[in-house]
Amino acid sequence: MDKRRKKFFYALIYAGAALLLALCLTLCATATYTQPEQSTTFVLNAGSESQALPVGDLVLPSAMTWYVYGLVCAFVGGWQAARLLQRNGWALLAVSALAGIAGGVWAATGALYAAVLLMGGEVWAGAALLTGLAGLVFLAGLAGLVCARRRISLSIALTAIAILAVFAFLIWAARDRSTNLTGLLSSALLRSVPIALAALSGVLCERCAVINIAIEGMMLTSAFFAALFGSVAANIWHWPSWAAFICGLFGALLAGALLGLLLAVLAVHFKVDQIIAGTAINILAVGLTSFLSSRILSEFQNLNNPGILNRVSIPLLSRIPVIGPIFFEQNVLVYMLFAVMAITHIMLFYTRWGLRTRAVGEHPRAADTLGIDVFKNRYVNVTLGGMVAGLGGAFLILGSVGRFDEMMTAGKGFIGLAAMIFGKWMPFGAFGAALIFGFADALQTRLAILQVAIPSQFLLMAPYLVTMIALAGVIGEAIPPAADGQPYEKQ
Amino acid sequence: MTRIRLNDVLLVVAPIFLALFFTTVILLAVGASPWDAYRNILAGAFESPEKIADVVAACVPLVLCGVGMCITFTAGQWNVGVEGQIILGALFATWVARNLLWPQAPVLTLMLLAGMLGGALWGVIAALLKIYGNVHEIFGGLGLNYVAQGLAIWLIFNPWRPADGATMSGTDPFPDPAWMPRLAHLRVSPLAVILALLAVVVVYFLLRGTRWGLELRAMGKNFRSAYLLGVPSTPRLLTAFAACGALAGLAGAIRCSARYGRMIPDIAGGQGYLSLLVALLAVSRPQWVPFIAFFFAAVGVGSPRLELNMHLDSSLGGVLRASMVLAVMMVAGLRMLLNQRRARAAGETPSQDVVESGDAAG
Repeated sequence: MDKRRKKFFYALIYAGAALLLALCLTLCATATYTQPEQSTTFVLNAGSESQALPVGDLVLPSAMTWYVYGLVCAFVGGWQAARLLQRNGWALLAVSALAGIAGGVWAATGALYAAVLLMGGEVWAGAALLTGLAGLVFLAGLAGLVCARRRISLSIALTAIAILAVFAFLIWAARDRSTNLTGLLSSALLRSVPIALAALSGVLCERCAVINIAIEGMMLTSAFFAALFGSVAANIWHWPSWAAFICGLFGALLAGALLGLLLAVLAVHFKVDQIIAGTAINILAVGLTSFLSSRILSEFQNLNNPGILNRVSIPLLSRIPVIGPIFFEQNVLVYMLFAVMAITHIMLFYTRWGLRTRAVGEHPRAADTLGIDVFKNRYVNVTLGGMVAGLGGAFLILGSVGRFDEMMTAGKGFIGLAAMIFGKWMPFGAFGAALIFGFADALQTRLAILQVAIPSQFLLMAPYLVTMIALAGVIGEAIPPAADGQPYEKQ
Repeated sequence: MTRIRLNDVLLVVAPIFLALFFTTVILLAVGASPWDAYRNILAGAFESPEKIADVVAACVPLVLCGVGMCITFTAGQWNVGVEGQIILGALFATWVARNLLWPQAPVLTLMLLAGMLGGALWGVIAALLKIYGNVHEIFGGLGLNYVAQGLAIWLIFNPWRPADGATMSGTDPFPDPAWMPRLAHLRVSPLAVILALLAVVVVYFLLRGTRWGLELRAMGKNFRSAYLLGVPSTPRLLTAFAACGALAGLAGAIRCSARYGRMIPDIAGGQGYLSLLVALLAVSRPQWVPFIAFFFAAVGVGSPRLELNMHLDSSLGGVLRASMVLAVMMVAGLRMLLNQRRARAAGETPSQDVVESGDAAG
């Protein structure tokens, strides 16, 4: 992207910011509410069956936390501005220091007044909330402008502001009540598992330069076969539950591998455009699973009841407060995700196979010249990617929902791809991004339970908005493998 | 020579048989008679003038979106946000229908224009995200689809709620002037058909006969070199997305005005994704879109018959369509391999088209 365009983008942000700043000031002037004494209680114990050592609740005074949040925002803004001194001289420093502090205060006051107004049930609450959000966008833009060259500190600043914003929002949403923080984080992890597996599948495929947009369809088909195989084993053959689970898992992996192979044949052998192939596989998967489930699963209910995996507590580790219930009291498939993630990382970056895969993804011709079989590498990787997506499908059935429903993946495959980009094509990065999306999902459910005065449809949009903002936030940072999406042709 | 010609014929017919074979296997696997199933689909689509009219009516949004997508494909862009653009078009048209109580001609005109505006707006947002935010248009488009869906449901369940409570069946029916006139008792609106055909002709000439079309094609073939040769890529991308969005929005306006006569949550009904396949099969040639859309629409109108007569789920139609696309791609790939082998046998160097083309049409 050329520089002029980037400047235009920031100019847009600042123009919008100025407008909203005026709105904010008007609001501050007209609103004469005061913040009542309120506090928010976060329960940190996971539940009665948890093995973790009990700890006390975390009680935070709402108003106080808001002020702290505003101060931190202002500090981050000012700190970012101060960093400019080294590079760009005094004029810009002064402007951005002021802008940073104003942005921080602005975000805090906007959000604060949103809180106050919402408690009074006023119409303007939405506007004030928007103002707070605009303040955040403003700060993010500022941070981006300042750290355009230093990318690591940009991510840190953005992450810090985002985490604070979410936490502050939660404090407001749960004011005068108590909500279980450990439970929230635990369900966030659970919701991020299919997204993380989809992202890992994407990493495997794209590292060897095959774009896999069919992850959604692979997960859906695998979920269907996990339900079918698991149920047949459990309810027809009356296998013990662990054997039925393995049977379901086998069905899912098989379906994923077959679809991966199909994509590989189309993309590698026939050199079909990979996005067309993926889209067609997705539509095929939707049609096939809807047809088969209406034909088989809805007529024979016991074929759609494979049972859900029990939680397995890891001894000792599960007794750590807060962390134990989140990470070490989950079902086997969650642990499998951790294993797959670690294995993928080690394989990609510390083995010969991984080096070859990355070479094939960056410059297939060079790899071919050195004697690497590009076609074979892509076949293997895409099939493995299909199996990882299949694991995601199996998790949806065996680890989370327990029955197959039409269209049950609901865009998780695509969000997984976004997580892959956000995680810069790295297994652990992808998992981190998946955690963010999973948290957005869990938070939305929690807010619905807390009966926040925001329409549920807007809360449902949140994960997708987060996805888009997250993707837009990594300007210039996410660089795909060089040969991504191009079929390779031997000479 | 005769052998080659025979091959070419086979390569055209083979996908159809491959797809039929695949669906037949599925039908046999679930213990249904394939022959009955195909006969039912055909009868469901063509047995009476009413049914044929339904097929033509179902064709219209597919043609509009398919033609629109030809524009973005030509520019090398994956506009998968068409679903959301249809919804936005329908939302804008609904707003006009609910708020302007004028005679039919101005209301309908305004509805269609508003629909185009709404769709174009949503398309431009995806393009802006792509250009200034570096968000790949696939993610921008899909994200915007979900946002549009949420927006539609919120509007239907809150501000536009019918007096007797909101349901998934949508808003109150539009006032009479906002209904598109239909042909006698048939469920097809001549105006909509004319608009769709007009769109085909206009887009064909825009892409073939104008500088704008040429520049879009250059961008689709090779974005970087088009940019270096002085094609203003930002305005071209914006206009391409806006044009595609406008056509999709028009489809949305037509769907809620001519088909449902109200706004429903499922107004897009997967048309966006289907038209993606239509545009793919048409290889971004607008003149082929109506024929492929007709076939897709016929399968779509015919499949519910399966449910009535054979207790088979109508999603079999979806399987048939998707496997058709996969088969066409496989056979096209096969044809390319054969051509290369032939070229290699003749001692020529194989073409580099495949490696270099970022061309969405493939």
